[in-house]
Amino acid sequence: MHISDGVLSAPVLAAGWIITAVFIALAIRWSKKKGIEVEVIPKLSVMTAVFFVVCLVHIPIGPTCVHFILAGLLGIILGILAYPAIFIGLVLQAFLFQFGGITTIGINTVNVGIPALIAYVIFQRGMKLELLSSRREFSAGVLGAIAGGLSVFLVAVFTAGALIASGEKFTGVAVAIVGAHIPVMIIEAIVVGFIITFLVRVKPEVIGSLGCDKK
Amino acid sequence: MKIKRVFAILALLLVLSCVSISEVSAHRLVIDREIGEIGVKAYFEGAGPCQDANVKVYDEEGNLYIEGVTDDNGYFGFPPKIGMEEYTVAVDAVHMPGHKAETVINLSQASVGAGAGSAGGIEMPLYTRIIAGFGYIIGLAGAAMAYVGWKLNKKYKGR
Repeated sequence: MHISDGVLSAPVLAAGWIITAVFIALAIRWSKKKGIEVEVIPKLSVMTAVFFVVCLVHIPIGPTCVHFILAGLLGIILGILAYPAIFIGLVLQAFLFQFGGITTIGINTVNVGIPALIAYVIFQRGMKLELLSSRREFSAGVLGAIAGGLSVFLVAVFTAGALIASGEKFTGVAVAIVGAHIPVMIIEAIVVGFIITFLVRVKPEVIGSLGCDKK
Repeated sequence: MKIKRVFAILALLLVLSCVSISEVSAHRLVIDREIGEIGVKAYFEGAGPCQDANVKVYDEEGNLYIEGVTDDNGYFGFPPKIGMEEYTVAVDAVHMPGHKAETVINLSQASVGAGAGSAGGIEMPLYTRIIAGFGYIIGLAGAAMAYVGWKLNKKYKGR
C-alpha cells in the first residue's frame, strides 16, 4: 500500500522513518557479519525489480483498486534483506510513479517490510520444524502459500493501523483496506505457494536470505 | 371572392417579407453569457477512475471555496469564481484510504485551454518509467558489486 503525503500525522511519519532506519541498519550489519556474497546482489536486485513492477499490476474491484505486493515472496527469498529491497522499490516508485509520498516512504516500508520479515520467520520456522509434512516440496509450498497470504493481510492491517493512528475512523478504514485485499491475499497465496514449490524443486539454495541456509 | 383571397395572400406575403427584411437587415448578434465549469478528473494511474472521492477546492487565499464528490467517472466540476485565477484542488479517495492528491489550477496559464491540467508532475509513459526503474536497480546493483569487488580485492591484496 502506498500512503500519500499529507495523510498521516507527523509522529506516525517519524516513527516510520525511525523503524525503517533501524531495520536497514540491522540488515546491513547482519549482512556484513555474514559476509556479503557476490551472488546475493543479483538476487537482491531481481527481487527488488519484481517488487517494483508487481505493484503496477492492478486489480480493479468495485470502486477500489488494489495491486499485488508479493511481500511474502520477497521475505521468504531474501530474509532480512527484503527490508532494504522493499525500501529501494518504494523509493523508486515514489519518485518515478508518484506512488505514495516522499515523506511516507518510511512508514510505507514498515507496512510492507515487517510483514515480509514475518513471512520469512514463519517459513523458516515451519521448514525447520517440519510442521506440516516431511515431504519438503509439499510443506514448502503450503508454508509459502500461508506466508504469502498472511503477509498481504498483515500489510493491510499495518496500513490500516498507520491510518488509524493518524486519526482516521477505525471501521471505515479497516473494512476498506482489509476487505479490498482479500482477493489479493488469495491470489498471492496461490502464486507464492507455486513459486516456492518450484524453487524448492529446482533451486532450493535460492531460498533463505544469503543463500547459505543449509538444509 | 377569389380576388379577395388573392389580395389576402398578397397582403400576408407583404407583411411576412417586411418582417423578414427587417430581420435580414438588422441581424442583431446576441451573446448569451455562460461560464462553464472547471472540470477535474481523478483516477488511479494505470487503473480505473477514483469514484466517490471527496474533492475540496481552495481559492488563492487558501479558503475552502467548494467541496463535493467525484462521480462514477472520477469527474468533478465546479463553476469558477469571478476574479479568481488560481484554485487548489485536493482529492481524497474514500474507497482507498491513504490516497490523496492535490493539484493547482491556474486559469491564466495556457494548459487550461487544452483542458488537460497536470495532476502531480510530468506524465511519462508507464513503460519509460518501468525501464527507468530497472535502470536504477541495475545501477544500484552495479554499485554494490563494485563495492564488494573492491573489498575482495583489498582483502586478497593484503595477504
